[in-house]
Amino acid sequence: MTDETQLTPLEEDEALAAELALGLLDGDEARDAVARLSSDAGFAQSVRDWQERLAGLADRLTPVMAPARARQRIRETLGHGTAPLSQPASGPARAWWRGPFGALLGLVAVAAVAAFLWLPGQLPTTPTTPAPDYQAQLVTEDQAVRVAARLAGSEMEIALEQGAVSEGRDYEIWWIRPDGSAPISIGLVPHSGSARMTLPASLDPSEGIRIALSDEPAGGSPTGQATGPVVAIADLTRL
Amino acid sequence: MQDARRLQLEEMIARTALGDRAAFDALYEATSAKLHAVCLSVLKDRPEAEETLQEVYIKIWQSAERYASNGLSPMTWLITIARNRAIDRLRARSSRPVTAPAEAAAHVASGEPGPEAATIRAQERRLLDECLAQLAEQQAGAVRAVYLEGATYADLAEREGKPINTVRSWLRRSLLRLKDCVSQ
Repeated sequence: MTDETQLTPLEEDEALAAELALGLLDGDEARDAVARLSSDAGFAQSVRDWQERLAGLADRLTPVMAPARARQRIRETLGHGTAPLSQPASGPARAWWRGPFGALLGLVAVAAVAAFLWLPGQLPTTPTTPAPDYQAQLVTEDQAVRVAARLAGSEMEIALEQGAVSEGRDYEIWWIRPDGSAPISIGLVPHSGSARMTLPASLDPSEGIRIALSDEPAGGSPTGQATGPVVAIADLTRL
Repeated sequence: MQDARRLQLEEMIARTALGDRAAFDALYEATSAKLHAVCLSVLKDRPEAEETLQEVYIKIWQSAERYASNGLSPMTWLITIARNRAIDRLRARSSRPVTAPAEAAAHVASGEPGPEAATIRAQERRLLDECLAQLAEQQAGAVRAVYLEGATYADLAEREGKPINTVRSWLRRSLLRLKDCVSQ
């Protein structure tokens, strides 16, 4: 180490704040820095400034939708027992089957049956979907696999209508805007039947949007960007 | 535009702090794809990222009431929680000691008034890419690897084939240059 690596005490503090914000410290250094947060307001502010500054790096990450089950598990853990596939984010309005059944077990069972009965082909009858409906039919070049994507409001249904997903692989679904921005992953094709998901508010269905399928390792692209070949692509069209 | 979104998110967090489940749902909807991307970037494993995302939102629900006083912009607070969770898990994987939670900083009340500081920070964020580009590619890459992939000094030293102390001193210098550049 030469002298040019010597930092002034002010620079030392600033570098330490950055390292704490980045999680680069360990051992005693980490303990001391954390302790300093509560005794030294200026230092705590420097750490927050670094967090703010560095969070800009995450702006460039392509958003990747998590599967609906993640949200369901969060609700279960927090005791916000909403039945699977009931309308999320629709506020305090209770699903119709909830009222008369107090017992949680009964609720889950009934909801599961209700969801089962309620799913096939009845999407447009849901009262919370005033927006126009869209669909995309995704067919692989050899016609072996056919996947239908249907949108009612922000609710999207993905159905594997023909063919099968290969062992150890998954088809990942991508939302492609006409402006050339990076495709956004909206989930995986179910291995059988259909799956439903809620589009994030930032995704507005419109004509011009294209939906694509890429062939990915099981669980989907590990990087959040398509890594496998795109096997099918189709325009979102108004129903 | 940016401000409107910030206000919206702040409102969602404030209502979540009061136990408003609909607001929490809306917050999930507005932010989960981004936070999932952060978890994926660090963990590079879909199932682990998904589990981490669940922990992140549970944590958000539980600590929303402490958000108002910490002076961070809402996205930064959320991203910081997600990143720290993901990094804890990454380090647990290699049985590395878990580093100090940088989140602690977000729990110390800030005396700084929000909006004005937020404007300055928004400017800094816009400059971030430009300033990273001014660093040597190797150094900018190291900053990204540390933030977005949870690399440690040991990882960087291995990657560069240099002693940890050397790597540490050039990364610290790079960070200081980055700060000077964005806050000029």
